[in-house]
Amino acid sequence: MAKKISGPRILTANLLGDGLVVFLGKDGSWAPSLESAWLAHSNDDLEQLEALGGEAARSNTIVDPYLVEVEDTGSTLLPVEMRERMRARGPSVNLEFNSKSNGHALVADQAVAG
Amino acid sequence: MYRYDEFDATFVSERVDQFRDQVARRVKGDLTEEQFRPLRLMNGLYLQLHAYMLRVAVPYGTLNSKQMHKLAYIADKFDRGYGHFTTRQNIQYNWPKLPDVPDILEHLAEVEMHAIQTSGNCIRNVTADQWSGVAADEVEDPRPYAELMRQWSSLHPEFSFLPRKFKIAVTGDKADRAAIAYHDIGLRLKKNAAGEVGFEIFVGGGMGRTPMIAARVRDWLPKSELLGYLEAVMRVYNLNGRRDNKYKARIKILVHELGAEEFTRQVEEEYARLDAPQGLPSDQELERIAAYFAPPAYEDLAENDAVHTQHLVDNKDFAEWVERNVAPHKITGYAIVNISLKPVGGVPGDATSGQMHAIADMAEKMSLDEIRVTHEQNLVLPNVRKHDLFAVWQELKEHKLADANLGLATDIISCPGLDYCGLATARSIPISQDISIRLGDIKRQRDIGDLKIKISGCINACGHHHAGHIGILGLEKRGVEYYQITLGGSGDETASIGQIIGPGFSSETVTDAVETIVDTYMDLRKSGETFLEAYRRVGAEPFKEAVYATH
Ligand code: HEM
Ligand code: SF4
Repeated sequence: MAKKISGPRILTANLLGDGLVVFLGKDGSWAPSLESAWLAHSNDDLEQLEALGGEAARSNTIVDPYLVEVEDTGSTLLPVEMRERMRARGPSVNLEFNSKSNGHALVADQAVAG
Repeated sequence: MYRYDEFDATFVSERVDQFRDQVARRVKGDLTEEQFRPLRLMNGLYLQLHAYMLRVAVPYGTLNSKQMHKLAYIADKFDRGYGHFTTRQNIQYNWPKLPDVPDILEHLAEVEMHAIQTSGNCIRNVTADQWSGVAADEVEDPRPYAELMRQWSSLHPEFSFLPRKFKIAVTGDKADRAAIAYHDIGLRLKKNAAGEVGFEIFVGGGMGRTPMIAARVRDWLPKSELLGYLEAVMRVYNLNGRRDNKYKARIKILVHELGAEEFTRQVEEEYARLDAPQGLPSDQELERIAAYFAPPAYEDLAENDAVHTQHLVDNKDFAEWVERNVAPHKITGYAIVNISLKPVGGVPGDATSGQMHAIADMAEKMSLDEIRVTHEQNLVLPNVRKHDLFAVWQELKEHKLADANLGLATDIISCPGLDYCGLATARSIPISQDISIRLGDIKRQRDIGDLKIKISGCINACGHHHAGHIGILGLEKRGVEYYQITLGGSGDETASIGQIIGPGFSSETVTDAVETIVDTYMDLRKSGETFLEAYRRVGAEPFKEAVYATH
């Protein structure tokens, strides 16, 4: 059962096979970027997201789905928690090896979250 | 080095087959994640922040060149071309894919490696002084006993389900390079008054949210009685340890709650009762294990090598590297080469596959095929002829591995923190990089002298911050990272726990605070006094004043 909503949320998980972070998109597919993530604004939305997450976990596409609170800045979605911002962007180090890592202006972001 | 016997080889290869089957069943959906999780953890496979992470054991930190080549091969073929050496003398891969893991484990088994006992509430991979068997002042090589304990603990069903994970470290030297006082059990080989070698036994050390220095429970125990005595320790723990509360379940809490004296009394009582401890090895078995650690084929060399001496005179950079990174060897004409994995601004403990291959080649050609991993996240070529030191240095330089900073301010320990770890509260690697760049000038580092900075990304303390002369702990408040500083910790034979100096610092100001602390030390030190000695003389006050006056 979904908790009462305080801010918009998206659904995230890790792919079962390669373990990588994914977000549930508006079209129902799982993508590595949160840009096109399905944004839940109401409790009904939340319940639907959770149901889809449970289904995807049962069908062994993903593991450990959960909701992440985000801030919708208009141009981008920004997870409220530091940990979730890191998951969305990839490591801020070893950039030569980690292609997903980009836009690591985490310090600046903190003003938004603070 | 220890070689698998038939039993080990069968055991490991059966485990690989079993895991291959479990992965197939998981992918097909015959196993749920809840059912699969404990199985993958038993094989060293975690799900971290961004991906799976595989932790591969390097028992007592000893590798041969074939094994190092294999680690490099795995990094290339199944990961992103690099690996992270940890404070537990393991290597972690950050990006393995689940269907590949059985293949990775099979590759590891080919070179007698595995990922067993790197997770769970069992006796973990036993760690050892990285200079075991070669240190000039060593009483005896402790690794045969580490191997003995590995076999003993692997086979003991009773010890696979402990109240909590259990870590053992061994050293054969007076100088403690294995942080034994910070382990559940720490063992030091030493001689008694009669000149016989035995074990000094410490119990109940640990990091985490309740850091503790281990209590000495036995000043000297005959070597042959080791397993019997450990069995008594484990029984007292198993009977009394708190299984009800994860945070209180470590043996350190039991030792603390009972008091060292009462704990020791109970162990001795249990030990006296144990007339025939289970599974004690025969003398033959001990000899069989010890034979695997027999010294390699050293040559008969002179103390000094003219070519080497000339290079020292001719090349200042080389001489400085030798001074910091090369240590005396117990065999005449040989030296211990310490390879820093801490380039200024780099990621502590990381090595690329190219670097791993290069080190493996050097080990084969110039270190009698041996490599060691240190708990300070560096590597060692333990058997280098003085004659070859210059060639090794040049080769290391070519692979960006010749930083002459061993034990200096930029030889920082850092856990993966929030860049990789699912439990982290803050990032630790970028802070270590920032500090490393700030203090990176080698002249300044040499002037500062011995200094251990250690950083953890959460209270679990994988980065040993409690044992840092300067310790940094990353925390988080309302979505913002901040950093707490401790001073005066030490993980050596004078072990102590660092004390918090006051309110924490932001990610932008923590490096300034560290620099202020270092500058304060430079101002107040007496001639020849290290940072730790100065801190122990003057206490925290002058440092606090300096740091908080400017904030
Ligand atoms: C990235 C995945 C990791 C996870 C999930 C993890 C988890 C943990 C946890 C939960 C503890 C606390 C245990 C306790 O107090 O009972 C711990 C302690 C520790 N870990 Fe890790 N760790 C990770 C990586 C590492 C790495 C990379 C290192 C080495 C750099 C390391 C070395 C240690 C050490 C030395 C301790 C302290 C042992 C003690 O409490 O006495 N861990 N770890
Ligand atoms: S100290 Fe915390 S952040 Fe660092 S590796 Fe350990 S569990 Fe992860």
